[in-house]
Amino acid sequence: MLEFFRNCTLIRRQDVSWQLSVQSFAGGLALGFTLAVTILLISGVSLSSIVSEFVVHVFADSAGLAQATIRAIPLVLVGLGAAAAIKLQFWNIGIEGQVWAGAIAATAIAFYDIGPDSTRLFIMLLAAFAGGAAWIALPVLLKIRYGVNEIIMTLLLTYVVFQIVEHLLFGAWQDPSASFPVSPRYEEFERLTRIGWETVHAGIWISLACVALMWLLMERSRFGYYATAVGENFLAAKATGIPVISTVVISVLLSGGLAGLAGGVIATGTEYRLTQFLGIGYTFSGIVIAFIARFRPVYVLVVAFVLGGIYSAGDTLKVFYSLSEAIVVLIEGTILLSVLSMEFFTRYRVRFGKAQAA
Amino acid sequence: MNNQSVALSLRNITKSFDGKPALNSASFSVNWGEVHALLGENGAGKSTIMNVAAGIYYPDAGELHVNGEKQIIHSPAEATRLGIGMVHQHFRLVKRFTVGQNILLCCGKQLGISTQRQATDAIESKAQEIGFDVRTDAVVGELSIAEQQRVEIIKVLLLGAKVVVLDEPTAVLTDQESRAVLEFAGRLAKIGHAVILITHKLREVTSYSNRVTVMRRGSTVLSGADTSTLDANKLARYMVGELMGRVQTVKKSSGAICLKVSNLSVSDIGGGIGVKNVSLSVNHGEILGIVGVGGNGQQQLADALTGLAPCSNGQIHLQGEDITFAPVTSRRLMGMRAVPSDRFASGLIAGMTVSENLSMTSIATGRFGNWLFLNRDSMNQEAELAINQHNILGASPTRPVKLLSGGNAQKLLLARELTEDASVLIVHSPTRGLDVKACHFIHSLIKSSVEAGVACLLISEDLEEVLTLSSRIAVMSRGTIVGEFPASEATSEKLGMLMMGHA
Repeated sequence: MLEFFRNCTLIRRQDVSWQLSVQSFAGGLALGFTLAVTILLISGVSLSSIVSEFVVHVFADSAGLAQATIRAIPLVLVGLGAAAAIKLQFWNIGIEGQVWAGAIAATAIAFYDIGPDSTRLFIMLLAAFAGGAAWIALPVLLKIRYGVNEIIMTLLLTYVVFQIVEHLLFGAWQDPSASFPVSPRYEEFERLTRIGWETVHAGIWISLACVALMWLLMERSRFGYYATAVGENFLAAKATGIPVISTVVISVLLSGGLAGLAGGVIATGTEYRLTQFLGIGYTFSGIVIAFIARFRPVYVLVVAFVLGGIYSAGDTLKVFYSLSEAIVVLIEGTILLSVLSMEFFTRYRVRFGKAQAA
Repeated sequence: MNNQSVALSLRNITKSFDGKPALNSASFSVNWGEVHALLGENGAGKSTIMNVAAGIYYPDAGELHVNGEKQIIHSPAEATRLGIGMVHQHFRLVKRFTVGQNILLCCGKQLGISTQRQATDAIESKAQEIGFDVRTDAVVGELSIAEQQRVEIIKVLLLGAKVVVLDEPTAVLTDQESRAVLEFAGRLAKIGHAVILITHKLREVTSYSNRVTVMRRGSTVLSGADTSTLDANKLARYMVGELMGRVQTVKKSSGAICLKVSNLSVSDIGGGIGVKNVSLSVNHGEILGIVGVGGNGQQQLADALTGLAPCSNGQIHLQGEDITFAPVTSRRLMGMRAVPSDRFASGLIAGMTVSENLSMTSIATGRFGNWLFLNRDSMNQEAELAINQHNILGASPTRPVKLLSGGNAQKLLLARELTEDASVLIVHSPTRGLDVKACHFIHSLIKSSVEAGVACLLISEDLEEVLTLSSRIAVMSRGTIVGEFPASEATSEKLGMLMMGHA
């Protein structure tokens, strides 16, 4: 084994083609699924049921695909959000907190009946965006003004907002007709409508629109150029006169806003109320999506749908094979790790066998 | 060790990186007891072939002999065991550790020592032996570059190196310090070591080396010639392959004052030397050269002039207008252009494309498209023009800048800064790390824009560069200007004394 490693040489690639990126992504998925199947076989699920029920159900029939799509809708938004901040070297580790802040803001509009019925839903989503942006405003201002570390601030603010959620759900906002800590259900007009395919809701259009807008903004506009420059080399951007501070502030607020919007979409599209669980896990997902997608909006869309599929497959496993949560997380982690590991080959060329000196 | 016998020889070494050849059947051989200069332009393959000898790179083909015996070196540890030691250009030291701790870390096992006291003793006896003065309890990060270099040398010698490779040891030293290290190389050879001096300074070859090997584009073009038979012109021809004319000094102009700095002070946030009460003025059509040992406030002065650091006192006027507190973009709109000392830290963005880098400053001031969208087609068209006009090799508008060589990246930066609407140019160490040919090109670019009326402030640690280009010269030391005179009155001795604070 040692000899094997001694005999292979890593050569840094000078340039990475998009074909290679696609190959490594597909290769990573293939490797991940192979490992996942192995884990499932070891856990006692037979190969035939993996293929017939799990694979076919999740990836080849309408209901399964719809389920994956519903999972993907908020993932697209948090992926875009994570990319918007991390691309500029602002480490937003509090995506979950902004998702909660968005969900709280949307629910507040519904709870206090703010605005006419006809525009209520629109106001709720707007409030969700604003709520998420507000929740990251303090970290970005403190970072710029005093250089306070944003990783700690965004992370800890997540716990703060979760305490607020608990406080509301166990107090003022608790649904009197329910024994669980949940807010009252939204009215019919406060919910995103179904688009007519299984239970997929109109949040899909919001996610797709955000992908298009972020693509225009980050890859076609003057602002996107500023953002790339600031992210790649803050000092050079400053020295050439690019408005560094406003670029960072706008990108980071967008990041929080998109995460908040994800919270609003989950609340108005699938949960129809504020619950204790709707925001959990989105920091991890958002950052993974942003990294695999290399912060590019269109790639975020693809990666988020793949991840949505993996998550919804995990849900199926839990329900039908009563596998433990641990196994499901293990499988998800294995697939993601495989994809990330294969990224390595887009950066390096591996050559086996040493050229022996003559 | 008998003199004149071969210590280390590399034969027909070939090495390529990701398909790009760096060494093409290059050979090199050094004898015991000599200082052997390895001369070549940047990218000629000097460091690469020595990294092969030091076990850092493994060659694709070729042979390596140490003391007449064929060896295969897979790692730096094996090279150390064979007595080959390399002092790299970028030191391999832990900056937060003391000198003693650094030595203990890398030589402890070989020397069989385990306490700081033993390390101190080992360092002191070695230092005495070779005539160095080293403070063993000083933290490395607080030492000057020259002192850190001495620690590196002691480290290599303690590890038992008999073949010592010095990779451009004088690149970041003052004249006096350079002389000291070069003389040390001679002493080391006298006691029997084989010393290899990687350099691209001709003077170091003619004055301090016994023999010289010249490399060009990955091949050996002159192998082990006696330096007494060669003059600087001949060597330069081997090195660059063609002779170059010298750039002529720009004559003192009678142009109007363009940039005027009065009583400027800048405090350094990092606790270093800031700028104290500096006054100077630069006319249209002239170059004012500012020389000084690095770290004497040059960076802070450049930052204050370009709008990157706030001034604590004094004024800056550009063509009569007060720009002391003006933002970067308004300075640029008034024609201020800047070439920073570290082109990849604050000039160019390595991960972005050639065209994006070329248009960067114009985009920041609102050109190329409207407030919302960028016009990438016109960016690419202008980039294409600039690439052709400045002969930037290896560049195309959509290629990332990180793939360009240092010289071509610098050409790109100058192509961006030296536009027709430039009024004043602040250049800081424009040729640092560049080869002779690229230096020459950069100098003539600066010179022709100055002849067209641009006022230029040239901040540099390279005396020769300043003497070659400037109409007037000012010397900066400890944050202030300690002397200013016309270039014709400047001698390197006079400048050196002022720089070292002896005036």
